[in-house]
Amino acid sequence: MKTRMSVVLFVAGLAAMGASTVFAQAFQPSRPIEFVVHTGPGGGADVLARALASIIDKEKLAPVRLQINNKTGGGGLTAMHYLAEKKGENHTIAVFTGNWITNPLVRKEAKISVGELTPIVRLVLEPAVIVVKADSPYKTLKDFIEAAKTTPGQLKQSGGSLTSRDNVVRQLLQKHTGAQWAYISFPGGGERIAALLGGHVNMMVIEPQEAGEHIRAGNMRVLAQISEKHLAGFPNVPTLKEAGYDVAIVPQVRGIVAPPGVSKEAVAYYEDLFAKLAQSASWKQYLADNQFDDGFMKSAELGKFFGEFAEIMRGILKEAGVKVVR
Amino acid sequence: MDIVSGMMHGFAVALEPLNLFWCFVGVLLGTVIGIMPGLGPPATIAMLLPLTFQMNPTSAIIMLAGIYYGAKYGGSTTSILLNVPGESASVVTCLDGYQMARKGRAGAALGIAAIASFIAGTFGVLALMLVAPPLARFALSFSSPEYFALMSLGLAMVVLLAGRSMIKALLAMLVGLWIAGIGTDLFTATSRFTFDNSELLDGIDFVVVAIGIFALGEVLGNMESREEGQMLPVPKGLRNLLPTMEELKACRFAFVNGSVIGFLIGVLPGAGSTIASFISYGVEKAVSKHPEKFGTGVPEGVAAPEGANNSETGGALVPLLTLGIPGSGTTAILLAAFILWGLKPGPLMIQDNPTLFWGLVASMYVGNVMLLVLNLPLIPLFAQILKLPVYALYPFIFGIAIIGVYSVSGSLFDVWMLAVFGLLGYAMRKLDYPSAPLILGLVLGDNMERALRQSLMMSQGDLSILVSRPISAVMLVLAAIILIVPLFRKANAWRIKAIEEQA
Repeated sequence: MKTRMSVVLFVAGLAAMGASTVFAQAFQPSRPIEFVVHTGPGGGADVLARALASIIDKEKLAPVRLQINNKTGGGGLTAMHYLAEKKGENHTIAVFTGNWITNPLVRKEAKISVGELTPIVRLVLEPAVIVVKADSPYKTLKDFIEAAKTTPGQLKQSGGSLTSRDNVVRQLLQKHTGAQWAYISFPGGGERIAALLGGHVNMMVIEPQEAGEHIRAGNMRVLAQISEKHLAGFPNVPTLKEAGYDVAIVPQVRGIVAPPGVSKEAVAYYEDLFAKLAQSASWKQYLADNQFDDGFMKSAELGKFFGEFAEIMRGILKEAGVKVVR
Repeated sequence: MDIVSGMMHGFAVALEPLNLFWCFVGVLLGTVIGIMPGLGPPATIAMLLPLTFQMNPTSAIIMLAGIYYGAKYGGSTTSILLNVPGESASVVTCLDGYQMARKGRAGAALGIAAIASFIAGTFGVLALMLVAPPLARFALSFSSPEYFALMSLGLAMVVLLAGRSMIKALLAMLVGLWIAGIGTDLFTATSRFTFDNSELLDGIDFVVVAIGIFALGEVLGNMESREEGQMLPVPKGLRNLLPTMEELKACRFAFVNGSVIGFLIGVLPGAGSTIASFISYGVEKAVSKHPEKFGTGVPEGVAAPEGANNSETGGALVPLLTLGIPGSGTTAILLAAFILWGLKPGPLMIQDNPTLFWGLVASMYVGNVMLLVLNLPLIPLFAQILKLPVYALYPFIFGIAIIGVYSVSGSLFDVWMLAVFGLLGYAMRKLDYPSAPLILGLVLGDNMERALRQSLMMSQGDLSILVSRPISAVMLVLAAIILIVPLFRKANAWRIKAIEEQA
């Protein structure tokens, strides 16, 4: 038993070390790689996919082109179902986002969960900041939380759907502090910002890239950053923990998955392809321009991450009053 | 930089040969994708984004904006000729545009659409240049209660879109509102009427419904009459293909109405060009001396919505360029483009990049002229399509409709939905139900429900939030007036009839 175990470990180690040399030879794409995206052209995941495809093209990382295929619908479910149909297809990959993990938890329409797909790599972590309008009376996160405690349900936050990160942050803070405030959903990011700048809501959770120019123009003030460490653009803004609220940091993730049942060689190939991409200067520039964090994680770790993340989200969604179906 | 020197600088940039070239490429591409139903500006711009990395950002934005407003010109073509709305914003154009084509005035309708687009498009740019910053601040004072009131005002237009029977119009509107309710509820994350089908989670695409009901319904209805040969008359001679002076004169107010309403609604981040075109059409009909003729092919009915949807482009760029807030799908992707080029879209962008802003504004004047020159000569050409005999034209319309719908989502499910709505459109024609109220309900339903629920969440359930805010109160009163006035008119007609009978 012990020997067998060590053999397994040895092989696994070999695979990890030599992935690029041993297995990359074993699988080479022979025709254009289909790159599935769950948003329409111009949506967040689509913009990322097109940037990835053009970097791979520019840095000549793959012998073939990556061809974007927009499979919109069902908040990502259509694309996930499409991947399920492509079971065992080595020439198909897809961009996943946090939606892919949470949506199947609350949708009985889902026929597949992200855990059944083949994890390739995690690429991006999107941090966020908590902002108020510049003329708001709240100078710190504590000011806001205390005000919310004295007038429960009166203060308002604009955000996306109930399953979005914005609401997760609110749920965690509410649970941690006992404060209560309202959450008003808007379908578009522009409308959320307009609601804050128009003074119709008091606070919002926003990506630093979106907030940056509003802060520079003096329209918004940052109360805290939702990240473990200080973001490049916000050296003096406290993290949630530093602000006195030690709640879990739920990241917004993006990365690559493949259909269920693709060959080990293909997984190794794509893992290696995106590892090279993650090292490239173009990619680092892309991350910096968008103020994303490098969230690179390999296939095996990503599989574990999916499980843990789904577990955390299940708990949060239940507390938020969303019906969890799996 | 003040406006005069800004414009001088802008034209210096826009008239550089390279920028002129990209402007032309943009408006040409825009016209082409506008003519093709389905594929719209957001998809085209997204696909072209990687190509723009090598270009300088000013040339690139000039080209991409050209696609954006160029598509609005092209969108009316298939609406008028085939009753197939080319973009969601040209659905309203079908109402009178296609009827004009049936009367042999297809060329005139296309001409009026192009001229209205030109006037309103230019107005939109002018307004963008002159009043962008103060107007952007005004747009921020709009929130959910105001949007609810605006949508109510739009929905009240149903009394103007009704045919002979108000009951039938209201029923059609309710069906539209119901279709708008299908999908995932934003606030509770629950599914509505999806029958455990993941394809329905995002709701039913508005374009699918509009193409189904308008185009397929029309074709199915006409097929019964078993006509041989040509479906519509096409007059000979170039002169007869262009709008007459009387027709242009009738549109005077529509040009102004479309320009102003389109721009104002465009500025609001939560509205959009489809709503702008509906409201402008409603206003045009409400103030018209012969409202009963709307829907039978009056030129104002083409000019108002076409103007509104072009002027909306200038309006939609206001929050994008002055605040960095995208108000629509297309402006959201332009925002993504700015970031990809290393620019920082936001409240300081005009200040930081005067060349880009003024170059863009100036290029939009140039582009609108190019579009007019490009589109007018194409009219006689396009009008020839109607010379096709029905056995060729009907399959052609079917093909265009299916390709259009499939290219939006790449989903066969939507093609089946198209068939369902085609049959619904046919049934509605047979039973004399007007289709415009259904489309109106569908366009507004989702936004209206969302705005109402957001308002009530803001006020913790207190309905008075809808009437205690001045802008919202005014619009609700207007909506009430639109709904009540026809009742008085009817009562008056009865009264006169009763007096006459007594006498």
